[in-house]
Amino acid sequence: MDIVGKRRFFLSASIVLVALSAVILGTTGLNLGIDFTSGTTVTFQFQGGDPGSADVTDALIRSGHPEAIVQGLGENQYFIRTDFLGNDGLINVRGEIEQLQLEPVIVLDTSTVGSSVAEDTVQNAITAVIVAAVFVMLYIMYAFRAVPNSYKYAFAAVVALGHDVIIVLGAFAVLGIAIGAQVNAIFIVGILTVIGYSVNDTIVIFDRIRENVTLAPGRDFRSTVNLSINESVTRSLGTSITTVTVIVAMLLFGGASLRDFLIVLLAGVLIGTYSSIFVAAQVLVLWDKRSFLPWRRVVTTNT
Amino acid sequence: MSRFRGLVLVAILVISSVVVLAIPEFSVLGFSRGGDGPVGLRLGLDLEGGTHLVYKVVSEEGLDPPTEDDMEGLRNIIDRRVNEFGVSEASVQLLGGGIDSVADRVLVQIPGQTGAAITLAFAADTVSPEELERFFRENLARSDASVKQNDSGSLTVQLDEIQGEISDINGNVVTESEADGWREAVIAEYPVALQVGYGIVELDPPAEGDDTAADPEEPGIETLPTLGEIEAAFASVGRDDASIEAVSGADGLFSITLHGLDTRSTDSEGNPIFGEDQQLIAALRDIGNLQFNAMQGSLMQWAVGGGVQEAKNLIGTTAKLEFRYRECGDVDGPSPDAPWPPNGMTMDQWLVERCTNPVYFQERPTTIDPADLDDAFPDISGGGIPRPIVTLVFNDEGGDAFFKETDDVSRHNDRLAIYLDGEELVAPGVSQGGISGGRAIIEGGDFTTESVRTIAIQLRSGALPRGLELIQERNVDAVLGKESLQKSLIAGGVGMIILLIFMISYYKIPGLVASIALIAYSIMLLGIFKMIPVTLTLSGAAAVILSLGFAVDANVLIAERTKEELRSGRSLLAAITAGFDRAWPSIRDGNVSTIIVAIVLFWFGDRFSTSVMQGFALTLAIGVLLSMFTAFFASRLLLRLIAISRIGNNTNLFVPVRDQKEQSESASGGNS
Repeated sequence: MDIVGKRRFFLSASIVLVALSAVILGTTGLNLGIDFTSGTTVTFQFQGGDPGSADVTDALIRSGHPEAIVQGLGENQYFIRTDFLGNDGLINVRGEIEQLQLEPVIVLDTSTVGSSVAEDTVQNAITAVIVAAVFVMLYIMYAFRAVPNSYKYAFAAVVALGHDVIIVLGAFAVLGIAIGAQVNAIFIVGILTVIGYSVNDTIVIFDRIRENVTLAPGRDFRSTVNLSINESVTRSLGTSITTVTVIVAMLLFGGASLRDFLIVLLAGVLIGTYSSIFVAAQVLVLWDKRSFLPWRRVVTTNT
Repeated sequence: MSRFRGLVLVAILVISSVVVLAIPEFSVLGFSRGGDGPVGLRLGLDLEGGTHLVYKVVSEEGLDPPTEDDMEGLRNIIDRRVNEFGVSEASVQLLGGGIDSVADRVLVQIPGQTGAAITLAFAADTVSPEELERFFRENLARSDASVKQNDSGSLTVQLDEIQGEISDINGNVVTESEADGWREAVIAEYPVALQVGYGIVELDPPAEGDDTAADPEEPGIETLPTLGEIEAAFASVGRDDASIEAVSGADGLFSITLHGLDTRSTDSEGNPIFGEDQQLIAALRDIGNLQFNAMQGSLMQWAVGGGVQEAKNLIGTTAKLEFRYRECGDVDGPSPDAPWPPNGMTMDQWLVERCTNPVYFQERPTTIDPADLDDAFPDISGGGIPRPIVTLVFNDEGGDAFFKETDDVSRHNDRLAIYLDGEELVAPGVSQGGISGGRAIIEGGDFTTESVRTIAIQLRSGALPRGLELIQERNVDAVLGKESLQKSLIAGGVGMIILLIFMISYYKIPGLVASIALIAYSIMLLGIFKMIPVTLTLSGAAAVILSLGFAVDANVLIAERTKEELRSGRSLLAAITAGFDRAWPSIRDGNVSTIIVAIVLFWFGDRFSTSVMQGFALTLAIGVLLSMFTAFFASRLLLRLIAISRIGNNTNLFVPVRDQKEQSESASGGNS
């Protein structure tokens, strides 16, 4: 299977995806959820017994508040947090909740509520990820010191990492438009998980290239990479199929509260697996016979 | 079998993890772990729910209503306190306010309901834990009570919950705290035995000039008091209910039993008062030469705390620290002629009273500003008996002021009184000049390791700009919804089973080994989480899933590499060894990179007001380290062990299904 030969196709597809994601993120951006913004809390009591938190959540979704956090307080009371509700919003929410039972619902308390996560968390998370990426690059340069140009491996791994994060963020922005998915603290965790997966998966492919380069230093780099990809493709599939199985099972049969988080994980695993083979390895090949530094191009094209 | 020593190690770890997980809650030599969660794991607010507390800012006359900045500061201080207390993943939010008004309430949700505890001690430890447990269960109708004895002899009553004081909107107390009633009941239930002995004062002929000896102006002091006099002394402090007996055969020795002796030394407002025991002793001292008294069974300590209770104490208090200079009463009288010490005290009594009885001392503020406090941490004092203390560290300015004041205190033989929220913590004297170096310790008589920790956290986080009162306390369900989580857990379990079936049916023996390794891995991971202990939240669970993915990946890598080595014609055992050696660098490098990511995230997470990232990073680092460990010892050695057994004769069992087909196809192709 000649994957390296089709590298222009894969890389172009990735560039298009990254560009689209960047455009969506730049224009509509992500919906910041109620973990980061202020909103409204409502405490109410059912008089006709406990309908269960799942039914309350469904009623809130019907009233246009899929972001709502629902917590039971016992004694048929519920404490909900939603986006900011005006008077009309409250009437609307109350109307949907009252549909659950014949008896009226008593609203015990309404109040505005501040954010639960500081707004600079997103900013800090981005800084943390960038610092982490720098350290990972340094480690890869060290771990791959036996092969020539180990910095290229480090750089390619980080390119793949950025590619994965931007596309997952873009995909989530699309979800935000389509189904109102919101960025909450849980989402940041999802992105961190994707980063961990992406780096690990890329390194497994690079390890194979490292091994083959050392075993046969004289072989053309392009064929070495192609061979390495073919040798490790079963492992890549094996690992991602097993991981995806668990995530899909939870997505299909699990509860609604983890849905957004699992979607991020699923997208991350798929794109992370893809990018290790079709982006990270291809960047290496692309970079092998040329330099990105203009003044060195003349020399490299001569060889 | 020394080559398989690693397997034994893994087996021991797995078995000990199973044991750790099987006992929901345990406590050995003060090291206690476990709780109410599944297999005793601590779960976060998002997974398990917890306690829902709403505090309201107390409006004080003469103070402007809190500004937005005040409230934000309040929120940050509470957040810091809760997190430092070790309650991770708590949520602190401001409630109320709108476009033109400022929030006036704080919502705190704390994960877990670890219950409440009362620590109490009887003089001479007269009450056994079994007795007290029976009393709580039967007389106080608390079937949830369990009592254990602490090393110091004190008893701890563990309860699911204690109903605190309930106030209405105007702050009037509607229901008294449940614990106050129990205290009365315990005092009434257990008798206090008092033994007092009097002696006849012998007038030493050469001690005529000594004015501290028997005072001729107090008549009757040479004779032993009678039973009637003792009874009168008890009646004088309102305790004519005491049953008093003269011990036969020993003159001047009396044995007294009474119920309900209140030894509290502060009233409900926290002002120092004389406890009933002190009043009694004083009355007994008046009627004769009291040589000894021994009290057994009086309630010496009563502290409500533990779990949510302790957290509530921590959050709600203002924590205003105050250093006051205490001018004690003069050691020497105003003039040589006036009777001194006052009120007929002996010099020994006076030396104590002059600095402890508010009648005799005066206090004034000092130049020590609590804002100059750099740090405060719980500590253990040196010396003979280690006691819990709080160490204060001042900045330069505070250190100078502290030196100046302690120097003053030392020279005038006075005291430096330290108050927290208007309550005296301690008022020590200073013996050898001023204390330099900007460090101070607070050593209080009734400090416990728990209370010094609370005080230190409060001092470190700073004083709240406004007083708070608790207006609502409820149990609250998991943020992510109990039903939803149960469904997800089942789905995840089903996913894992599918994964194991896939691994075994596709990779066969290596798949089976991987499955065993994964199960061992999961058990050890949970065991470690319980021992550290890690509060498991969704972000932690995500890290577990990720590290589980890495553990699967490590096994897949080993299996694939072994297959390749087999194909190249090696013997099974050699193939397994070589396969592992080939797979190891990628397992190692991939996992080390992930650990680097985890460390950076943890490091940064420290600066956040939220522990989302830290929880993730910590769990990920533990999970990945363990995954490498399991791959290295369990997977590798187990494969080798099976390879040298009889199963090893069938090499086909070590090759994945798809490749077998290829092999058989190429074999049949070769035959035709």
